Amino acid sequence: MVPYLLIAPVVIYYSIFWLFPVLNAIIESFRNVDGIWTVSNYIHIFKDPVFYQALSNTAFIVIFSVTIEFILAFGLALLINTKFRGSSMFLFLAMIPMSLPAVAVGAMWSSGLATRGWLNSFLMTFGFIDDASKILFLAGGKMSTMLLIIIIDAWTVIPFVMIILLAGLQGIGEDVREAGAIFGGTKFQILRKITIPMLKPTITTAMILRIISAIQIWLIIVLLYGFNRLPVLLEQVVLNYDQLGAEYFERIGLALSVLVAIIVSAAAVLYLKVSGSFEKEVKQDE
Amino acid sequence: MATLELIDIAKRFTKKVWGVKKMDLKVEDKEFIVLLGPSGCGKTTTMRMVAGLEEVTRGTILLDGKDITDIPPRDRGISMVFQNYAIWPHMTVYENIAFSLKLKKMSAAEIKERVEETAAMVKIGELLKRLPGQLSGGQQQRVALARALAVRPKLFLMDEPLSNLDAKLRVTMRTELKAIHQQTNATSIFVTHDQSEAMSMADRIVIMKDGEIVQIGTPDDVYFRSANMFVAGFIGTPPSNFFNVECEYTKENISLKHSHFTLEIDSMKFQELGKYRGKEIVLGVRPEDLLIVPESKAVFTAEVLVVEPQGSHQVVAINLKEIIVKMVVSAETKVKPGDKIGLGFNIKRIHFFDSKTENRIVFKGGV
Amino acid sequence: MNNAIKRQLKRSAKRSSLYIVLAGIAFIIIFPIFFLFSFSFMSDYETYSEWPKPLIPSFKANFMIDKNSEGYHLLIFNKSEDKYMPFGPLVFTNSQEDIDNLRKFIKLQSNSKITSQKIMEYLKIVDSKSRVEFSIKKDLLANYILFFQVVNGAPKAVLNSLMVAGATILISLTIGGMGGYAFARYFFKGKNILKLSVLFVRMFPAVSLAIPMVIILAKMGLYDQPLGLSLVYSVGQISMSIWITASVFMAIPVSLEEAAMIFGTTRAGAFLHVTLPLALPGLAASAMYSFIGSWNEVIAAVVLTQFNPTFPVVVYKALVGSQGQINLITAGSVAQALPAIIFTLIIRKYIIQMWGGVKV
Repeated sequence: MVPYLLIAPVVIYYSIFWLFPVLNAIIESFRNVDGIWTVSNYIHIFKDPVFYQALSNTAFIVIFSVTIEFILAFGLALLINTKFRGSSMFLFLAMIPMSLPAVAVGAMWSSGLATRGWLNSFLMTFGFIDDASKILFLAGGKMSTMLLIIIIDAWTVIPFVMIILLAGLQGIGEDVREAGAIFGGTKFQILRKITIPMLKPTITTAMILRIISAIQIWLIIVLLYGFNRLPVLLEQVVLNYDQLGAEYFERIGLALSVLVAIIVSAAAVLYLKVSGSFEKEVKQDE
Repeated sequence: MATLELIDIAKRFTKKVWGVKKMDLKVEDKEFIVLLGPSGCGKTTTMRMVAGLEEVTRGTILLDGKDITDIPPRDRGISMVFQNYAIWPHMTVYENIAFSLKLKKMSAAEIKERVEETAAMVKIGELLKRLPGQLSGGQQQRVALARALAVRPKLFLMDEPLSNLDAKLRVTMRTELKAIHQQTNATSIFVTHDQSEAMSMADRIVIMKDGEIVQIGTPDDVYFRSANMFVAGFIGTPPSNFFNVECEYTKENISLKHSHFTLEIDSMKFQELGKYRGKEIVLGVRPEDLLIVPESKAVFTAEVLVVEPQGSHQVVAINLKEIIVKMVVSAETKVKPGDKIGLGFNIKRIHFFDSKTENRIVFKGGV
Repeated sequence: MNNAIKRQLKRSAKRSSLYIVLAGIAFIIIFPIFFLFSFSFMSDYETYSEWPKPLIPSFKANFMIDKNSEGYHLLIFNKSEDKYMPFGPLVFTNSQEDIDNLRKFIKLQSNSKITSQKIMEYLKIVDSKSRVEFSIKKDLLANYILFFQVVNGAPKAVLNSLMVAGATILISLTIGGMGGYAFARYFFKGKNILKLSVLFVRMFPAVSLAIPMVIILAKMGLYDQPLGLSLVYSVGQISMSIWITASVFMAIPVSLEEAAMIFGTTRAGAFLHVTLPLALPGLAASAMYSFIGSWNEVIAAVVLTQFNPTFPVVVYKALVGSQGQINLITAGSVAQALPAIIFTLIIRKYIIQMWGGVKV
């Protein structure tokens, strides 16, 4: 009885402030401005070529940023886990990007990547470029735009992934890896056959959290490029809701949100399926 | 099979903290060596240096005459049982045991044969398909053992492998480990802080303290000829009793004066005590060498404080004001707290220690 | 001996390569943050008239006044050009009005304060010696002060942000703390589902959640109110609090509570007198984590506020609407980032601990 009493507020709170608005959003996405049931909001989206651009841009960014971030964060976690002198100070340093407000990150990079920003100033001061060869960071084509976003996202998010992996690594005893060394494993074999398999639940957590938030990337793009320069899914939601203003677009924004949520869940389930953690998770939940 | 030689090994952790200060040891082929000592004495560090898990700060390690000091663990031809087993939870028992064999690129058939043979030896033949999470502590211990044995190592290392088992299982495993050793004849090093474990298993015991070897010897050596007060006080349950006595010479005898008694001993047999004339020395007596005797023959009398029955024998504690003396008597002896009893010494088995150096005073007579 | 030397060499080579790698990573992390801070201390002149821009803000500005037949000229030393450049009005006289305007211009453009009298004194020297060079100490915090003066409603927004954060901490710590205690001490049905709730909650975009919340909060009379915003933030923060507090409570042995119960208190009393005091640092960490989350959030706040924006919204609008100069915006950003960085420093151990218990 006691645990249910303790848990009850959480459940009630989630029902009112999460489940209710979510259901509300789903219902309203199927109605038009006059309150008549319709799928026209969705049809509008599916007929809009920008939606497909947003979809493919988002997919590209998610696949590359999640992969790159995972590899670098894992390397960093392994490094910090060796517990060298000053590792706790280094850990804090690595946490700073994660604690920076999104807007500060935006201000930082937009002041840096502007043609007369600090990055070009730095390169010029140290003689890497001259005034004529200033790099137009923000004026590149679609590919370089996405690449830049992936790099900035990686800078911001790697600490977060690293923390989760580091926590998982610390949960694995030193001795199982030592046993690997004794019983014939090279460093790489130990990593592949012992550390990574044992870390799998943690890796899954990190990957799912990352996939969920990577699909929802938009703010840094808008802060650097403004709306509609590099359309991504959530940016289109905000654009419809916040920028276009009319109630008609608001409903399209809602329908788009529902689609994003479906895409996010599908991606999460897909990841669990592919990585093979799905069966295990179901078993645990029973 | 193999011999192991540690030459002037040392390990320094930080500027001031030494894990092992200096260590020389030669382990013979097929020998079962136990490193024994209190926690922090450097025994585990020593073993980890032999395993290659810890770099040495100084010194050389020879296995079969070959310098392995700077060789990675996997190429040393050793295997190890870890204190917390360290079996891999994501692999089945079979995969755990087969791990190193697979890395050695043995054929599947060979691996299967080896795994089954080893598993049978440690009696886990029917558990091969299980995951470690489904096993009891004792079974996990056996998996760790099988994994280590399957390698057919030159040198077999065990780091407090029994310390996580319950008391009964620990005694059973002791016997089995010894039997396995007799069967495989693998040169073995076993680390423990449990002196009875050491006594029951070792060919030779290496007793360590503060990063240094205090005594190397057979179980008999360390028990009956303890090199110093530390060993005499560490080995045996209950440990040795110590009395500070003054050494005085009479014509034929030496008389040892203690605040509670005076013990007369033959000056011919204990000639070497001559240089301690008029000085204080320490008399060491094992609990079983203190005897209950009729009051008429007693060296001194005392009151019983506590009686601890152990089934096969009893431990009797006597309060001598500043110290509590413990003695072992037969189960049949009838004593109860408050009884006044007469006490004597088994003179053939008493020991003397220098009160300054705490080292054993050795007699040519061979006591 | 030879071996020992070889070993030593190998070890120090290993260590130096480790520290080189670490230094590289540290550089990548610090590099952009350094410039965010650096820009926030720069004057308009440094930001817009020097090229390449200085990498480190100067602590003083150097000026020169000279004179020709038309009147006085003010010049400022431009570091990138390495010479004095014309600064401000081409020509000015020693009238009170001109000097007053000059003083204001110097303050606004170079963040340096000078009095009219001082200018008069310099002008007298120029009259006798034809030119004068002088330097004024820069007011490094000028951008910060200016940001709060010129950006609409910035001080009020800070207050709003603090109120939102306070309410979020209160809600998420009570509700999440109770949940965390249940997680740490009891087994119950649905524990796993609830533990993963943080994942479910995140699957629906926060900004999309904010849209229907506008209507719900309007009905409750909480739209555009700090409390209303904190109700939305608490959705995410509650699950975080459950995770952190669960790991905090798990670290406190049940036996301590049981001992208190044996010595005569109730379960609630044991919690109050034994567990709670021991858990306090961990709970404080959880509170700080909620603070960081709510203090940094911008998207839902944009949607859910109108006349009472939070601080991040103000900075966001300054940045997107480009109504401010970049040195002002960086000052606003640093002001927003500092509390989050400091709190992260304080709770860094708990951040690891919290994720240690989390497994999908």
